[in-house]
Amino acid sequence: MKRLLIVDDSKLMRDMVAACLRPLGAVTFEFAGTGLEAIERLALAGFDLVVLDLNMPDVGGIEVIEFVRAQDRLKTLPILIVTTRGDDASRARVLDAGASGFLAKPFAPEQILDEVRKLLPA
Amino acid sequence: MSERVDLKEFIGGFVVEAEDLLATANACLLEIDTAISDGKSKPKAVRDLFRTLHTIKGLAGMVGVEPIMELAHALETLLRTADRAGGALQRGAVEVSLQAVRAIGERVRLVAEGRPVPAAPARLIEQINATDASSQTIEAPPEIGGEWDARLSASERQQVFLDVQRGVPAWTLVFVPSEDRAARGITIATVRTGLAAIGEIIKVAPRTQLDASGKQAGIKFEILLLSTAPAARLAEVIDADPATVVPIAVPVATAAASAEPVPELEPEREADISRIGRATVRVELDRLDELQDQLAAMIVSRFRLERELAAQHARGVDVRKLREVTDLQARQLRDLRRAILRVRMVRVAEVLEPLALLVRSVARTSHKEVRLELDVRDAELDKAVADRLLPALIHLVRNAVDHAIEPPDLRVAGGKPRVGTVRIACTELASKQLELMISDDGRGIDRDAVARRSHREILDNQQLLEVLATPGFSTRDAVTQTSGRGVGMDIVKRVAVQELGGELALDTQIGVGTTFTLKVPLTIAIVEVFSFECERQSFVVPVAAIEEIFELGDDRIEPPARPTAEANAKRVALVHRRGHALPLISLGARLAIDKGTVAKNALVIRHNGELIAFAIDRMLGRQEVVVRPVDDPLVRARGIAGATDLGDGRPTLVLDLMELGDLGERVGA
Amino acid sequence: MSLHVTFRVGNATYAVPAAQVLHLESYDTATHVPGAPAYVAGLVQVRGRLVPVVDLRVRFGLPAIEHSLDRRVVVVQNGTRVAGLLVDSAREVVQIDEAAYQKPPDIIEEQASGFVNGVATAAKRLFLLVDVPRIIGEELSHGE
Repeated sequence: MKRLLIVDDSKLMRDMVAACLRPLGAVTFEFAGTGLEAIERLALAGFDLVVLDLNMPDVGGIEVIEFVRAQDRLKTLPILIVTTRGDDASRARVLDAGASGFLAKPFAPEQILDEVRKLLPA
Repeated sequence: MSERVDLKEFIGGFVVEAEDLLATANACLLEIDTAISDGKSKPKAVRDLFRTLHTIKGLAGMVGVEPIMELAHALETLLRTADRAGGALQRGAVEVSLQAVRAIGERVRLVAEGRPVPAAPARLIEQINATDASSQTIEAPPEIGGEWDARLSASERQQVFLDVQRGVPAWTLVFVPSEDRAARGITIATVRTGLAAIGEIIKVAPRTQLDASGKQAGIKFEILLLSTAPAARLAEVIDADPATVVPIAVPVATAAASAEPVPELEPEREADISRIGRATVRVELDRLDELQDQLAAMIVSRFRLERELAAQHARGVDVRKLREVTDLQARQLRDLRRAILRVRMVRVAEVLEPLALLVRSVARTSHKEVRLELDVRDAELDKAVADRLLPALIHLVRNAVDHAIEPPDLRVAGGKPRVGTVRIACTELASKQLELMISDDGRGIDRDAVARRSHREILDNQQLLEVLATPGFSTRDAVTQTSGRGVGMDIVKRVAVQELGGELALDTQIGVGTTFTLKVPLTIAIVEVFSFECERQSFVVPVAAIEEIFELGDDRIEPPARPTAEANAKRVALVHRRGHALPLISLGARLAIDKGTVAKNALVIRHNGELIAFAIDRMLGRQEVVVRPVDDPLVRARGIAGATDLGDGRPTLVLDLMELGDLGERVGA
Repeated sequence: MSLHVTFRVGNATYAVPAAQVLHLESYDTATHVPGAPAYVAGLVQVRGRLVPVVDLRVRFGLPAIEHSLDRRVVVVQNGTRVAGLLVDSAREVVQIDEAAYQKPPDIIEEQASGFVNGVATAAKRLFLLVDVPRIIGEELSHGE
């Protein structure tokens, strides 16, 4: 069973992402609505992948990535960033900060499914 | 069916969330607008507004509504610039933002109705793009000191400054998350909610904790908070030792502006924009219905327990102790039911919140100056009633601003104050009704003009109201921008009178003003009823309507003294009860249902001054229920006053025995 | 091209635009409403809302059938009204091209013809497009 953390402040987005990823099969989903909650969850439990929205209250996605990567035990955690800013500069910034993957909104269900499949350890 | 995920299925969820976000956006804009009038700025509101638009943009993109994406994007760009430059918006930018939010709102509504969404209005987009937000900078606020400066944006530092100038202490709090704390329900989310209720959180920063040897040992959160709450209280919220909670020193500019005295505790102020920290929970009515279903199931279980107890008692078992417990349970269930029904009640003040913004925007569009006065105190209303009432109230208020209130110059010339007033006052009447008066000090309704327009004679306000409430009637030839479409006076009347069973009255005086008086039942939804069975179907009837219930069989039933074919067909007999003879009507026959069951009970009602009885099969019980109107034409029938749920998930009809007692045609004949 | 919910009543398959459909519910019984027209099965509760249900078999003049687990209530919205259509079964959602609507030919079941707007073929099948306002008696709500 793979454990996925879906982080977005919109409940609708969280539900949609979970729906898109259900076809993965043996996965459980947990949800967080803010970057800080995501950090807290990741610090206290083990996940196989995080889907993280960049636009969130208080702590932005980039800061979350940087903080997470600064934790030794989370250095290799797959992080897929989802964002409405799909330009190349944003993509570069995000990957520079340490994200494992990048997907621009709006995306089609197959796209996120593909990305997550690529990033999940076998 | 393929497994393919279609995000368009989430359109419903999108509408719900978008409406919530738009409400937030409007609240932000209202706050900013009010602040401008007071010469202040609201950087936090600007930041929240920006983020809200950004979210709307993202969601609209996911479910594929391009026009909304475009509008949100344009506005979001404007707001990002403003936020980066210190978080201030000028009136012009507020105005254009309100229009953009309205344009988005209209489109969300069209999405909700499944209708096509028009492209974003080019002119408005141009206007938004042309609005210069960067020139709206305020002086860069001075440093805060300490580590925070590097981590705060200009608008955040501005916020700290504004508060510190008012004498609010600043704190750096440290919260360390742990499994133990999480198990006790203390997480960063609850800490944030708790702190937001007693102060203003400027920033929360995650930090890695290092142990003595410099190795990583978990994480902690550092929180920059402005609060007048005592250190002990803050320590409690973050589950820390009070000794470690110490305020930080922030250099305060020697300002000529006097710091207003700050109250002891900082409660939530104005419109709290942040969705974290509200003391209320948004509950969907469906879920309340679910709760009530569960409760009804519990009540059914309790009845079964009662019957079992009775059976045991009959076998000679001493059930007194058990009885005490079930009696207690009955009381607790009654209280629980009452509490759940109360959850449906909403404060009228909350229901009318959107009207303030409405008045502001309609006034601006029609170049008038109007203020909204609300005198509703603590009045509460059932949510189902409030939901139906709000569109009607919106129409009345919109009409008042658009048609009734005169332009400022005209008002002054006529000796009236420049600013017009629309006032909504509500009183709870003894008859368990809520009386709402929507009045304005505008030009009044010209009875003669209406009479001419409608080619009718109008002799009094009652008739005037009737004419105004004729479908399609409008006092203007041209449909104005803000009124004339959507809900009309006819719908206001229908909602108030037919749907809610209330009253609508009008009082108007030329040159002075107009008052609409709405009377709506407060507790229309919550009625105490007797439930009973008739021809194998369950029904309920309001307790208030029943004079007496008795068992048939002991009493003498005989055909009426002068039997007519008609009377026989209607199965009207006479029953002798305590020396009187009452007409006895078979309810089954009256409802045209005949399953051949035997009537064992009778319900007595007062019908036009006389007592009459209805024969039914058997009584089931007595309870408080939520009655919902049954108003679709398909199921509108004589004698059906509504429907409720007795706990089995199926609608049970509420009967109006008065109507059924009319010895006219049989129902369904 | 737009999505349509399709359902069977008797021997024919009907379609209604998905945009008009709120829910698809299974059917057990409805609360009989004395005094309502014969084609009204009664009231049901769907997601907390009271919905009147029109039995399409009765509406279309077909004989009754035994209760079946396949029976469904197609909850539709028409303006401000919400009503349920009781059908034999409702399983598929199909893309139908509005441009391909044609007038219903005479062979369509006599009774149903009053309630059918047009026909369309999609995926080599024939769908009868129902006139929802007529079925739910839109004329009833005026003139009372």
